[in-house]
Amino acid sequence: MKTHCGSSEHLSRRALLKGSLTTSAGGVVMNWGGLFGNPGWAEEVQRQKKHCILLWMNGGASQFETFDMKVGRPTGGVFRSIATNVPGTQVCELMPHMAQQMDKIAVIRSMRTSEVDHPGGIYLMHTGYRPSATVRFPEVGAIVAKYQGRPGKDLPDFIKVSSQGDAGAGFLGPRYQPFGIGSKGDLPPFTNSSLAKEVESRRHELRSFVESQYTQDNPSQLARMHHEAYEAARRLQSVQQKFKLDAEWDKYRELYGDSGFGRRCLLARKLVESGVAFIEVGQSSYDSHADNASWHKGLVPPMEQAWAGLLTDLKDRGLLDNTLVVWTGEIGRTPKINNRAGRDHYVRCWSTALAGCGIKGGLVYGESDADGVEVKDSPVSEGDFFATIYQSLSINPREENFAGVRPVPLAPFGSKVVTDLLA
Amino acid sequence: MIDWSKAKPAGHWQLPFEGAWPTAVALLPSGKQLVAGNEKGELFVWDLPGDLVAEVGKNETPPLAPVRQLVGHENGITRIVALPGGHTIATASLDHTVRLWDLNAATAGTAEVVLDRESRERKAKKGDKQANSAPGVTVAQQTDCVVLKSHADWVSALALSRDGSQLVSGDYRAQVIVWDVASRAAKQQWQGLAWNWIVALAFTPDAKSALVSEVRYKRDDFDVPAAALRVWNVTDAQVTLDLLKAQFPKYDPQAASYEASQVWRKFVAAGLVAVDVSPDGKLLAAGQGGETDKGTIHLLDATSGKLVRSVGNHQYGVTDLRFTSDGRYLLSVGRDTTLRVTTVADGKELLALNAPRGGQFKDWLSALSVSADERRVAAADIAGLVHVWQLVDD
Repeated sequence: MKTHCGSSEHLSRRALLKGSLTTSAGGVVMNWGGLFGNPGWAEEVQRQKKHCILLWMNGGASQFETFDMKVGRPTGGVFRSIATNVPGTQVCELMPHMAQQMDKIAVIRSMRTSEVDHPGGIYLMHTGYRPSATVRFPEVGAIVAKYQGRPGKDLPDFIKVSSQGDAGAGFLGPRYQPFGIGSKGDLPPFTNSSLAKEVESRRHELRSFVESQYTQDNPSQLARMHHEAYEAARRLQSVQQKFKLDAEWDKYRELYGDSGFGRRCLLARKLVESGVAFIEVGQSSYDSHADNASWHKGLVPPMEQAWAGLLTDLKDRGLLDNTLVVWTGEIGRTPKINNRAGRDHYVRCWSTALAGCGIKGGLVYGESDADGVEVKDSPVSEGDFFATIYQSLSINPREENFAGVRPVPLAPFGSKVVTDLLA
Repeated sequence: MIDWSKAKPAGHWQLPFEGAWPTAVALLPSGKQLVAGNEKGELFVWDLPGDLVAEVGKNETPPLAPVRQLVGHENGITRIVALPGGHTIATASLDHTVRLWDLNAATAGTAEVVLDRESRERKAKKGDKQANSAPGVTVAQQTDCVVLKSHADWVSALALSRDGSQLVSGDYRAQVIVWDVASRAAKQQWQGLAWNWIVALAFTPDAKSALVSEVRYKRDDFDVPAAALRVWNVTDAQVTLDLLKAQFPKYDPQAASYEASQVWRKFVAAGLVAVDVSPDGKLLAAGQGGETDKGTIHLLDATSGKLVRSVGNHQYGVTDLRFTSDGRYLLSVGRDTTLRVTTVADGKELLALNAPRGGQFKDWLSALSVSADERRVAAADIAGLVHVWQLVDD
């Protein structure tokens, strides 16, 4: 006799009631098996085919060297601000390409989050939740994969290109785990079979037969997961071309900038075009405890050119309306410049940005005080940030999944969608 | 000239320059005037007594305030060099300009400035209610200068030929410009590697060539940044010696290869941010900067480019260096808050001025300058002061 039930098998009275009551509001979608998903909501989400690209500034880019300049103040640093294509809005001189894309993005200058160090911050800004000993929260990519993914397609729904974060699919389960590829867009070795096609095909048939016989007698999640993972890896062999950039890089080099990050952003656009729901593209490392100005002088120009190129490319292809581009790291950086010419970790007031997918362009939301020490107006928590992201992607941020018997909303309880950011 | 083998400090003074980090300093040839600049672009001129020791005592900071403010730069000062004539300096700045200032030029009004703001605040915290309200000092302001404008990015490096007839400046778009001082005209220019920053420059004694160090920060963690340390003919803008190539024949600065990363790690470290050419033109010096474990200074043969020896005893990176006029010693400052005098022939340390401030990463000395007779040495300190040492050799 079982002494407990697995999360996918459990249907609480509360969930059952809620599921039956909230159909029109999105319903209750259970854990990774999706056994109790609301068909109406899922179909609506699928119909809209929204995508998300997360540009992850690993280590924590400085708000003072990007979007929240304090020129002339003691905290201002050495960079100067430049005008943008939005009258009255200025950004750092390191971002001339993004300055011409400001009409497409909304900057949040009033982030106030709750994890000041990297591991916690990376977890927080990938999941919306602080690390917990008892609940493995899923990353935003896994959630978008669940609600916007297209099961059975050859490409994974959640792809990470040279990025960080190890929360993965959390309690959503392995079906929504990220598929990680290297900094140059290189696929893992398992996506290449060393066998001749016919040999591989015969082996595949044999393995499928054995597997199906086994699962008939042993119907377990593990066996199913193994089967799905194998099938997914096998399907990838047929879409490897989607990850190859060399042939077309010359055409896009100028637009995205001649950098690794530029290539990764181009790859992200190609993957969106191919139907991938969520792609995370990382750039490291902004953890500039020393020589902050030099680090940003090195890191920001290739990043911002690639980002601007990505927005232009998405717009030109008609993809920006249904693709949310999120720019964030795990933390901001201190107003005070330390005696290593660096800025340390800071989460009381920092900046992120969103674009596309119903986000109002040309908007600066929130305000920091004169020295960028505190949020002066309209603070945005991590929960609010993720609630807004989900809303933008037509995913109900209050949608609940279950970690065991515990209902967990996509964005933490109490989070608010920042409606001012949405068109 | 001082006999460096017998040199020892007779006095040490600390001139307050608080509010923003002092980033550049120059003693005028006489040693009786000092110009220092900071990261905000402020420039001040101090008059120093003829004999600091006799007039103010060994370690007593003289009650000196700046006499003149040079107003014009709009962003941090990166380098100051003093021209041989004795009253002209050249300054380089993050505001993309190089400026020439005649310190005998007429001033235009005065201003009250406070250069000990942080000291006052510390006193106020201890109960001195008058500290913050005490008057500042009145300085004459000079705006008159010649602005050299051809750079399109931070001007990060500046050097002067020995005869004072040419300047060479370099920026963060890897552009190097050679200037004719008399005509204030750019007479030659060239471009370093794409994305690189020019971080250090020095003329050869005959001023026919310039040693140029370029580097850049990683553009992401998976990047092996390019670096170059090359001698350029300033007449035709051609490379006459590639020092990294001479050290590492297989090195391709544009390749993100294992070999390139090894060159970076061992030789370039966080960048060769300070360079000089020995007075006889036979040796080139290049110091590792940044937060490297040890600020190694490479001494390289100016003909073959081969490494002669590596010297230096700084903890963390070097920020500035220069040969003494006899070529036998190297003066260097760094991120360990010391000024060190190293014997070129064997790498032994002759003298260390200023104590390491202790602990990890405690401020740094950002720039170095020496008077013509080498009896005065000055260093800018990011803690908010300018050190002046008077040296004797008896």
